[in-house]
Amino acid sequence: MTTGDQKTTQKPRIGVYGFTGCAGDQLIIVHTEDDLLKLFGATEIRSFVMASSRPPEGEIDVALIEGSISTAEEKEHIQEIRKRAKILVAIGNCAVSGGPQAMYTGDGTFDSRLEAVYGTSTFVTDPLEATPVDAHVTVDYYLPGCPIDADDIFPLVSRLIHGASPEPFPHPVCHECKLNEVRCLLLDKKFCLGPITAGGCGAICPLHNVSCVGCWGPQADGNFKEHFTLLESFGITRDEVRRRVRNYGGHKILGFVKGL
Amino acid sequence: MSKKERIMIEPLSRVEGHGGIKVEIKANKVSNVEVQVLEGPRLFETLTLGKTPEEDLSIVPRICAICNLSHKYASLRALEKALGVQVTPITQEYRHLMHHGEMLESHSLHLYFLALPDFLGYDNAVAMADKYGDVVKKALQLKKFGNKIMRVMGGRIVHGENPVLGGFGRLPDVDTLVSIKREAQDLLPFVLDTVKILAGLKVPDHMERETQFVCLKPPHSGYDYYGDVILSSDGKEYPLDDYKSVIKERVVGHSFAKRSLYNGKPFTVGAIARVLLLNKRLKGNAADAFKKLYNERWYRNPLYNNHAQAVEMVFSLDGVVETIDRLLKAPRTEIAKPTRNSGTGTGGVEAPRGTLIHHYEIEDGLTAAADYITPTAMFLDDIEAFIKTSGDSLLAKKQTEGIELQFEMIARAFDPCISCSAHLVTVDWK
Repeated sequence: MTTGDQKTTQKPRIGVYGFTGCAGDQLIIVHTEDDLLKLFGATEIRSFVMASSRPPEGEIDVALIEGSISTAEEKEHIQEIRKRAKILVAIGNCAVSGGPQAMYTGDGTFDSRLEAVYGTSTFVTDPLEATPVDAHVTVDYYLPGCPIDADDIFPLVSRLIHGASPEPFPHPVCHECKLNEVRCLLLDKKFCLGPITAGGCGAICPLHNVSCVGCWGPQADGNFKEHFTLLESFGITRDEVRRRVRNYGGHKILGFVKGL
Repeated sequence: MSKKERIMIEPLSRVEGHGGIKVEIKANKVSNVEVQVLEGPRLFETLTLGKTPEEDLSIVPRICAICNLSHKYASLRALEKALGVQVTPITQEYRHLMHHGEMLESHSLHLYFLALPDFLGYDNAVAMADKYGDVVKKALQLKKFGNKIMRVMGGRIVHGENPVLGGFGRLPDVDTLVSIKREAQDLLPFVLDTVKILAGLKVPDHMERETQFVCLKPPHSGYDYYGDVILSSDGKEYPLDDYKSVIKERVVGHSFAKRSLYNGKPFTVGAIARVLLLNKRLKGNAADAFKKLYNERWYRNPLYNNHAQAVEMVFSLDGVVETIDRLLKAPRTEIAKPTRNSGTGTGGVEAPRGTLIHHYEIEDGLTAAADYITPTAMFLDDIEAFIKTSGDSLLAKKQTEGIELQFEMIARAFDPCISCSAHLVTVDWK
């Protein structure tokens, strides 16, 4: 509101909010140890209920949103935060695409699955099938990850509080895997989603001899069609490939795998 | 006497996930307590259906970030039973190391950063730094150490894919093991000092009531965090496979977490349950720490869960050293393979906040049924019961100033994991 003129030395105001998810993205921030102390020093934390009591809330310069929108109450809350946040960033797979809880999105199975787990109870707030944050409000920036990586979130916050735009990371997991000089799992005809998955994770799974599961969501310029054909040539059925890319693809994968 | 009042604490801070506490008060008595889990349902039991065990192991830890490796471990134990996988003794040692890492990460996060600010009168741990700078700094180092083990064994600190069916994708090298062992030895004096700090804390008694405790019985004569037998404070033991008849789940409208009862009554799981049921198995530093901190009020007062976590941090730091000493003699091993394609299995581990049970039915390599019972779902009823006792005794003594904080401290002491349970305080004055 009156940041500039009244208090020229006012620190940037940050809000960290958790919606439905595993809280892993906030936990990554909490787990940064030294950087966490710097964040609390360099900014005014107006809300971060996982780490601190009595959030003052109010106007916020940068809102970091974790989690999918999965109840009627959450839908109202995200709209309320948007109204008082200058910049809103979706952090983590759940906020960006809906998360694993959105893997069956569009299949029409939510009601029957809800009943299978909870029976026919009614709740204080109506449960909704998971949707990403941008299904409800304008999102200014996206930081994918399951969970996000500390080496990505701090540069992003740092740029935003200094009035700069975050640097995009337009590379797939494969790119980072090459930098790690790891033998490609695909050469050994093993399942891997590295070529069609957004990077930024450091290609940590292939580094441990395990395949990329696609948890950072789709890589926008990935050749999905060709990769499906390649995996099929290893003897993996198309149904299985289709199912596995959706485990972490949420809403965002649908446009890339349409008709495949 | 129609005066209606309500205390609503929402959001409940310094816990994992989004919850609230609603307390209704009628005629100076607590008429209703609801620990509300407000995060939306994620329906994990349905997300793994039709998936391969490999996919299950990747998806399930996403239930919860703080105890992601406990979820992975519970699923591994269940799936390995279902598919006849016999892991090597060395793999089992690496799993001990992994689990000690998660206990240290989760307990240090909870004890120093989520719980201790209440006892010392702060909103958060960073604010404590002015007066208790050394404690905060060392606590961060301890948490970082727990995370380091999780990174090494898990692949990354949250949702690593390195633990696989039958073993690990990659094992740490000897230098890494040696550095972890040294760091554990360096951190032990700080945790022993923490035991002294805790021994001097005044612990409020307004919530005290009798309850029941449940944990898993380790498969050997020592203290540990896993097993195939459910042990309870009434002296009974049950095979883990019978968990459904021992722990009864139900759904309540104010929570997307299911609720559980044992013997038809609320019960406590977590560090305090383990330490109360298994303390005779503790040795050395951990046994000494227990002697310094224990008193008979532990049986009635959940705030001592913080103290029990300190005992376990001592146990786990020593456990890291002992495990690595064994591993250094034979650090390499193979991944064990499944011997069948179909089967049923129940896996039990102690997550930092209590007993965690995963159950699978695998048919022709795909998941036909899955069930996950989390510790937070087990103890939510007990949190409500303790808050009710606390409210009644504080109201009777007219000590209602700051009553919300007292309720929050009770809930926080359990170290609830709201994502796991699916959230938490509102007080209604009637």
